[in-house]
Amino acid sequence: MKNRIFILIFAFVFSLPAIAQVDRSQMPKPGPAPEIHLGKYESFTLPNGLKVFVVENHKLPRLSFSLVVDRDPVKEGDAVGMLEASGSLLRTGTKTKTKDQLDKEIDFIGATLSTSSTGVFAMSLSEYTDKLLSIMSDIVLNSDFKQAELDKILKRMKSGLAAQKDDPSAIANVVEDAVLFGKDHPYGETETDETLDNITLQKCKNYYSKFFAPNISYLAVVGDIKPDKAKSLVEKYFGSWKKKDVPTFTYKTPTAPKEREVALMDRENSVQSVIDVAYPIQLKLGDPDLIKAAVMNTVLGGGVFRLFENLREKHSYTYGAYSSLIQDKLVGNFAASAEVRNAVTDSSITQMLYEMNRIRKEKVPEDELQRAKNYMTGNFAINLEHPQTIATYAINIDRYNLPKDYYQNYLKNIAAVTSGDVMKMADKYILPDNSYVIVVGKGSQIESTLKQFGPVALYDRFGDKIDTTKDKAPEGVTAKSIIDKYINAIGGKANLEKVKDKTTIMRGTVQGMNLTMVIYQKEPNKIKQELDAGVMKQETYYDGNKGVVSAGGTTQDITGDALEAMKYQAMIHPLFIVDSLNIKTKLLGTEKVKGKDAYKIEVTLPTGKSWTEYYDPQTGFKVKDVQQITVPQGTFTKENEYSDYKNVDGVMYPFKLVQTVGPQTIEMNVSSIKVNTGLTDAKFEMKK
Amino acid sequence: MRKKLFITFIFSIACLSISFAQNKIDFTEYNLDNGLHVILHQDKSTPIIAVTMMYHVGSKNEQPDRTGFAHFFEHLMFEGSPNIPRGQYFKIVQNAGGELNANTSFDRTFFYEILPSNQLKLGLWLESERLLHLKIDSVGVETQRKVVIEERHQRYDNQPYGSVLEETFKRAFKGTPYEWMPIGSVQYIDKATINEFRNFYKEFYVPQNVTLSIAGDIDIPSAKKEIEEYFGTIPKGKEDIYRPKFGALKQNEEIRDTLYDNIQLPLVLQAYHMPPQGTPDYYALNMLTTLLSTGRSSRLYKEVVDKEQKAVQVGSFPFALEGPGLFIAYGICNAGVKANDLEKAMQDQLDLAKKKLITNEEFQKIRNQIKNNFVNQNATDAGVAENLAQYHVFYGNTNLINTEIERFMKVTRDDIKKVADKYLNKDNRVVLYYLPKSLEPKKEGK
Repeated sequence: MKNRIFILIFAFVFSLPAIAQVDRSQMPKPGPAPEIHLGKYESFTLPNGLKVFVVENHKLPRLSFSLVVDRDPVKEGDAVGMLEASGSLLRTGTKTKTKDQLDKEIDFIGATLSTSSTGVFAMSLSEYTDKLLSIMSDIVLNSDFKQAELDKILKRMKSGLAAQKDDPSAIANVVEDAVLFGKDHPYGETETDETLDNITLQKCKNYYSKFFAPNISYLAVVGDIKPDKAKSLVEKYFGSWKKKDVPTFTYKTPTAPKEREVALMDRENSVQSVIDVAYPIQLKLGDPDLIKAAVMNTVLGGGVFRLFENLREKHSYTYGAYSSLIQDKLVGNFAASAEVRNAVTDSSITQMLYEMNRIRKEKVPEDELQRAKNYMTGNFAINLEHPQTIATYAINIDRYNLPKDYYQNYLKNIAAVTSGDVMKMADKYILPDNSYVIVVGKGSQIESTLKQFGPVALYDRFGDKIDTTKDKAPEGVTAKSIIDKYINAIGGKANLEKVKDKTTIMRGTVQGMNLTMVIYQKEPNKIKQELDAGVMKQETYYDGNKGVVSAGGTTQDITGDALEAMKYQAMIHPLFIVDSLNIKTKLLGTEKVKGKDAYKIEVTLPTGKSWTEYYDPQTGFKVKDVQQITVPQGTFTKENEYSDYKNVDGVMYPFKLVQTVGPQTIEMNVSSIKVNTGLTDAKFEMKK
Repeated sequence: MRKKLFITFIFSIACLSISFAQNKIDFTEYNLDNGLHVILHQDKSTPIIAVTMMYHVGSKNEQPDRTGFAHFFEHLMFEGSPNIPRGQYFKIVQNAGGELNANTSFDRTFFYEILPSNQLKLGLWLESERLLHLKIDSVGVETQRKVVIEERHQRYDNQPYGSVLEETFKRAFKGTPYEWMPIGSVQYIDKATINEFRNFYKEFYVPQNVTLSIAGDIDIPSAKKEIEEYFGTIPKGKEDIYRPKFGALKQNEEIRDTLYDNIQLPLVLQAYHMPPQGTPDYYALNMLTTLLSTGRSSRLYKEVVDKEQKAVQVGSFPFALEGPGLFIAYGICNAGVKANDLEKAMQDQLDLAKKKLITNEEFQKIRNQIKNNFVNQNATDAGVAENLAQYHVFYGNTNLINTEIERFMKVTRDDIKKVADKYLNKDNRVVLYYLPKSLEPKKEGK
């Protein structure tokens, strides 16, 4: 098939001849509209089914190859991140070449080569075409995934996941995906440390061997090459790629919510709110609505149109506000977005909804419609400056079964859109009352202002809804029953009261440093703690009244709130068995701890200080506690996780403790616990 | 997952990129009587044109108590003129099927429109209007004040590591006009009076301080005629243009600091003083950075990211400027890696470049990589127009768009070792650690 040059005309309203003298008060009239040449391409299919599109362009002595594996979206299930890992693994070695060799060969010719789970992109100067293609085909046909490389990739992905915590727009993307498509849809799955832990080499290998197949793939060859040469090279390097049956999938189609809902991800240190008013839509290339709907979206929020004019130029809420209407084979989406200062979060949402409503209800003025159409027409021409555009169009025609002249008629179809079409499209695709208002921002400042837009649900940064409903625990379970079960599980009150003193030795690492901790406790609440981290040693004493910390030759008295807290931390027995303490407990519901349901209890001291504790419904053991701690560095959330309970003289103690404060995690393992060794009171006073 | 997330570390300032082309780029250049410099390049492959204006004014032309002025002015330039009502710049260009934007760096402010080729006059009109008689009133100033604050929030304050360059330049260029970023400080814009903005305009937005560079589907003779019609009558500026001079920047000792930010992974950055762009050492430093961090076989990537896994990301680049610049090397720690361990691993690679001549194979590789860059830099009309203007404004030699490659190819293996040895020294650098806020030690109270 050979497609000839197509000629199109800019569809401008004005095309009067130019006047010779410059009158500055008049905007110059355009000259005769230029012809737009949609470049030609050639295409052929290899016997193995690989469809190849060649766009010849000699403007620069360079060439690119872009392979797209057109498989159905894949659900990753409990191993989200597997696709990304597989894509990265492709670049880490073949049956005959190590990663080092690949890196060297690609760089030596000054080439770019990137891989993903759905393809490979490679580009270089045209003098290296043969070499580049040999590397690329080796990767596509003969990849060899290795555990060591997967380990490296996963480590980096985990770091990336941690870093994402401070990137509000990235968080907004994750939450938006989860909210719009649902976590059981391939577009709504989100990555967590647990899903990364579930990625195995075998899963990645399976993915590669199942889905990398010529019969579902497209190869675009663009640049400084003759089509004949391209054909013989592609045959040489991809001819032996084996055809196979590739699994296909169907998914439930996510729909817009019946009523508007607000999804808030609370990020305390945000100085701006990231706002997305979004919902899924059904719209794909080839749908007769698409071009009309795209014109409508341009008026609303493409480039410098209504949202930008309103939120930036009129109200100065933001640096920019836009909307997007994304088409997709499976499910697309609409989003109106802006990043605005905290104080105008609700005002901004109000204006975004206002503009969404306005385009539904008011007819678009002709001049504004014309501007949108001209803008899109111009963009079409500007994009043609990149020869890759022609390849993309050719592939789209095949992928979406578009009429062969779809792009030749594109500008004509834009020109034909009327204000009536725009209103119809707005009515169908702009759904201010059936949207999710997704906000990543400072909850304490903005949460109360969001209720006016709909029920507010809180989300974590992985797109999981935070369950704030209380008493989800089964009927009959109370805070008291949970604590009673706990006390029994660890040995019962009588056995606990037999413990008069206790010596615990634990070891762990923090930031690569080895750590040893010895804790002496004596009833009711004396404690001494010795911390040895090699370079740093620290001792803490508390005798029931007075507390002292000593480190690096200096000592400091513990005072104020810290001293008050010490009184309770030092207790050798669980607080609950000491009736005189007058501790209040409240069941908050259930929540997952490391993927397992746990009862969540709020514990409040008479001083008003409170924290939460989590108990395993099966074993009865305490598995976690979470509290806010205020230390000289600031206020942090401290989480302790307890596991590996073992019996010591009739009482069960956790032998593994994982403490997380901010980004820092310390894992401690108990090496020994000894009870009733007769510790003297003197042990708990600092020797002068 | 639908969208992939990467750790992004964006130096969000208009960086000046070096550009080269394998196919010769023909151009015509000349001055109008009022001093406006014009560069024209014809390329008929797509019926579009890029109309660009490079004003030789950036943040370094500001006063220390009025930082952010040049960038603020870039925003004001869209406010209108006696013939163009407020808010119309965007609309007019879109109505013509075009795109427009602008950006500001330390050394220059750049405006462009990409238009269909039959709209050259429109581009000339829009640009000549705001050069001749920009409207500077309180409505525009008040609106853009707030917009710029939100730009600062979005691009710097609400971004992990967003302030890293600001903190680096503050230390490295203390006492000079490179001390502050183009975005500047909010309070100075608030303090400025309308008259100050008007004076800034009179001094810097004058024909002799701007280069009009046009690339694309144009007819050169008629373009010349139209340029004369729109720009020829604009009067030459009368004020002296303030151009700060930089003395020799010499640090006596290393400057080293730790900052605490809303981040999870520590960042290490080393910034070494280097000479201005266009000097022979500048070319050698470019080759050095290619050796260190271009491609996955580059030394920093291969050793620090791939083998030792100390970092999720490393990079180096010469932040070259019209005045003295900085050679920057940075890395972001992999989870659990301490900043000083990462710095040591990076340092080993820098030290190696100082100690040992690079291999012939590596030398050939980086030459190939640089050649590849040349070709790719001039792929669009807008890119060509900007590069032409830049070579004229900062190098005084527009034809470098064709010949600068020769300067790179002159660099020898020895030169690379020499510049590493000359500049990558402890007392010539600023080192910053960005650490998570949770690790911040107790602040001294009272």
